[in-house]
Amino acid sequence: MMLNPSVGLPDDRKSLYPQSQSSAYKCGDKTSPISVILVSSGSRGNKLLFRYPYQKVAECPSSLSAKQRNPYVLNTSGDELDDQDGDSREQSPLTDEQLVAGFSDIVLSTILATKSDMCGKKFELKIDNVRFVGHPTLLQHPPIIQVSKTDPSPKREMPTMILFNVVFALRANADPSVISCMHNLSRRIAIALQHEERRCQYLTREAKLMLAVQEEITTTETDGSPQSPFRQILPKCKLARDLKEAYDSLCTTGVVRLHINDWLEVSFCLPHKIHRIGDTYIPPEALERSLKAIRPYHALLLLENEKTLLSQLPLDCSPALIRLIKTCSAVKNLQQLAQDADLALLQIFQIAAHLVYWGKAIIIYPLCENNVYMLSPHANICLYSPLAEQFARQFPGHDLPSMLAKFSLPVSLAEFRNPLEAPTQEAQLIQMVVWMLQRRLLIQLHTYVCLLVPPSEDEPGLRDEDPPLAARVGGRSLSTPSALSFGSPTSSDDMTLTSPSMENSSAELLTGGDSPLNKRMTETLLASLSEHERQFILNIPAAQNPEDLRMFARLLHYFRGHHHLEEIMYNENMRRSQLKTLFDKFRSVLVVTNHEDPIISIFQSPMD
Amino acid sequence: MSTLLEDLNATGACTLPIDESNTIHLKLIQLRKDPPIVQEYDVPVFTQCKDHFIKSQWDLTTQQILPYIDGFRHIQKISAEADVELNLVRIAVQNLLYYGVVTLVSIFQYSNVYCTTPKVQSLIDDKSIQEECLNYVTKQGQKRASLRDVFQLYCGLSPGTTVRDLCSRYSQQLQRVDERRLIQFGLMKCLIRRLQKYPVKVIRDERSRPPRLYTGCHSYDEICCKTGITYQELDERLENDPNIVVCWK
Repeated sequence: MMLNPSVGLPDDRKSLYPQSQSSAYKCGDKTSPISVILVSSGSRGNKLLFRYPYQKVAECPSSLSAKQRNPYVLNTSGDELDDQDGDSREQSPLTDEQLVAGFSDIVLSTILATKSDMCGKKFELKIDNVRFVGHPTLLQHPPIIQVSKTDPSPKREMPTMILFNVVFALRANADPSVISCMHNLSRRIAIALQHEERRCQYLTREAKLMLAVQEEITTTETDGSPQSPFRQILPKCKLARDLKEAYDSLCTTGVVRLHINDWLEVSFCLPHKIHRIGDTYIPPEALERSLKAIRPYHALLLLENEKTLLSQLPLDCSPALIRLIKTCSAVKNLQQLAQDADLALLQIFQIAAHLVYWGKAIIIYPLCENNVYMLSPHANICLYSPLAEQFARQFPGHDLPSMLAKFSLPVSLAEFRNPLEAPTQEAQLIQMVVWMLQRRLLIQLHTYVCLLVPPSEDEPGLRDEDPPLAARVGGRSLSTPSALSFGSPTSSDDMTLTSPSMENSSAELLTGGDSPLNKRMTETLLASLSEHERQFILNIPAAQNPEDLRMFARLLHYFRGHHHLEEIMYNENMRRSQLKTLFDKFRSVLVVTNHEDPIISIFQSPMD
Repeated sequence: MSTLLEDLNATGACTLPIDESNTIHLKLIQLRKDPPIVQEYDVPVFTQCKDHFIKSQWDLTTQQILPYIDGFRHIQKISAEADVELNLVRIAVQNLLYYGVVTLVSIFQYSNVYCTTPKVQSLIDDKSIQEECLNYVTKQGQKRASLRDVFQLYCGLSPGTTVRDLCSRYSQQLQRVDERRLIQFGLMKCLIRRLQKYPVKVIRDERSRPPRLYTGCHSYDEICCKTGITYQELDERLENDPNIVVCWK
C-alpha cells in the first residue's frame, strides 16, 4: 500500500506507512495494469503468444539491493514465486513487473489458456499479489480448405486455434470496479479479434508470426545472454503493437483506441484515470448515480475545445452527437439544447451522460448572472501550479491567484458587472469563469430551505415524537427519465419537455381569488403537518394573506432541504424575487442555508 | 475444514489444533484505506468514548499521549505537553486514525470561518445523527437543545462569518448549546467544513527571493504552527501588504 505525499511536503516527513519516495522501483498505482498477456489453446497445446512488458535481460541482482530501500516495505523474496526457468533470484523488494515476471511463459500459458467451457465468461484468477482478468473466447473452426482433386500431395493438417484469451494482470488489491473495467476491455478486444479471425484468419496469422519468432529466438540463443523473443515480435506483428499500445494507454491516459487489423476500432476508457481530482478518482458508481439524477435545467459544459472534440470522433459516429456538440453551450440548459439541436430530451440525456463518462464534459448549472460561485475546497491555488501558467497564457495580463481570490467569498457574476467597463471585459470575465469551471476550481452555491417550526415549550413530549417533515411529506420524486443507464437503449420516450408532472402543479391552483376550492386545497396541503406546526404557521402575520399562504402550502414539499431555489423556480415557473420574498415572510419557520448541489458536486470534489 | 469456515464467518478468527503440539491461529484482517498524513496543526478527536479502550493494549507512545487527546489540542501542543517527540506523536495518531479510533478536525478559534456542506441536511433526515448531535452539543446540566436551534446555528455558519459573529448573532440559540462542541461535532460528521486562508504573493520584483510560504500551498494554520506567530500577527502583517492576496477555501 503506497501513500502519495501531498504537494509541497519536505522529505523529512515521516510516516508509519510506506510512501512512494523517489525509489528505483516503479510502484504502479492500483488502477494501472501490470502486464498484458495473450495466450491461445489449440491443436498444438497451450501457447503464450505475447506478453508485455516482457522480461528484461536479467540485471546484476546485487545492484538492486544496494539502491535506496524503504525500510518499511515488506521484503518478499523472489524465491517464493514459482520459477520454472531455474533463475536464481537475490533478495530484493519486487517491482510490479517482477511480480508477473516471476511467472514463466509456460506457467502463464497453462493457467491462462482455459478449457473451452470457460469461454464466453469472465475469467479471474488471483495468485499472491497478482490478479489476472480476461475473457477467454472460443474460435469457430476455420472453413474447410478445398483441396483440388488433382493435387497428389497429402493434405497437411493446419494447426488450429481453438480459443484465445487476452489477459490483464493487475495488482491483487485493485478495486472491483477497475477489475470489471479491465474485463470489459478484454472482452471488446476479444470480440474484434474473433470477428477478424472469422473474416480473414487474422488471429491465426498473427499467432503464427509470433510463434515463429519465438522459436527462432530459442534456437539461436547464445549461452549467457538470453534475449526476449517478445522484443523481436513487436516490429513484425501489428497485434503485438496493439496490445502494447493498450497497455501503455491504460497506464497513462486511461483512454484506449485500437485499430485491430487496421480495420476494426476498439475504444475504451478507464473512468478511474479520467475522472481524477488530485490524487483521488471518482468511483464509477458515484458517477453513474450522479448522471441518473441530472435534470433538464442542468447544462453540459464541454471540457475541450469544440473543434478538438469533433476531431477526436470516429468517422462513423452518430450525427446526433455532432449536432449536440455544435449546439451546446455553458448558458444553455439541456432542455433548450434539445430544442436547438432538434433531439429528444432523453437522447440529450444519454449523449450527455456518454460525454461525461468519457471525461469530455461535466454537468453544471447554466451560467447566468445570479449564479453564486465560490472557490472549490480542492482547487489548486498554488502560485507555481501548471494551471496558473496556462491561465496567464490564455488571459495575458491576469494571474490566476488574484482571480481566485475574488471568489474567496461567494460572489455572484452580477457583482462583477461594472457599467463603466467595456463590454469586452465582461465577456472576458465569463470566459475566465468558464475556464475555471472546466478545471474544477469553482463550485456553485445554491440556496436550500428547510421547514422547522419552533417547538412548543408546553408540550415537550410531542416535540420529540414528531418525525421530521421529510419523513412525512414523502414520496414525490422529481426524477429524470428512469431508464437512463450507460449505453443501454431505453424504450420510454414519454419524456415531456415541460416540468415533471406533480400532484400540485401550478396549473391546478388558481392564482386569483379566494375560492372555496383553493381554500380546501391549502388545507389539504397543510394537513400533513402536525397540529402544533399548523397552528404556528397560521399565526404568522404573513399567513393572513391567503395568496401567500396558498403559495407556501403549495411549495411545502420543497422545504425539506433537498431542493434548491433554482429547482423550485424551474418546477413551479416562479421568479427568484417571488420566492425570496416568500422565504422572508415565513422566516420564523424556515431555515435557509447555502451549499453546493450534491448531485453535481461530484464533478468538483471526489468522494471523501 | 468446517470449523475454519464456521468460525471465520462467525467471529473472523479461529483456532485450529492440528496435532498435540501444533495449533494454527487464524484471523481475518479488515483491509482499511491508507490514512492521510497527520500534520502538526491537526487536532485528533475520539470518535467513541475514550473509556471504551483498554489502555494497556496500546503501545507506550499512544498511552502517553492519550490523556492529551481532547479534541481541542493540536499535534504540536500534544507533543509539547506530553513531552513526546513530534514525529512520534504524528505516527501514533496516524495509527489511531487507521483504526478509526480518532478522526481529525482543525484547530478551534473564535476567528475561524466555517460553511455548511450538503451533508448538513442529514441532521434533518437522519434521526440517529440528530440524537447523537443534540446529546453531544448540549451544555452540561442543561435541558436538551432543540433541533431547530442547532440547525439554525449550523446554517448560520457561512463564508465571511466568524464563530464570534455567530455567537453574537445567535445568542438566544446558544443558551443551551456549547459552541465548541457544536463545531467539533459538525466537523467530525462533515456537516460543516473549515475555510482556511491561503496567502499568495502575486506581485514581486525580480530582485526579491521567491516566496517560500506565501505560495498558496500553506494555510494560516500551517504558517502559524511553523513560524510560531499568532493568527492576529500574521493577519496584520499580510493585510497591509499590497503584494499579497488571500484566498479562502
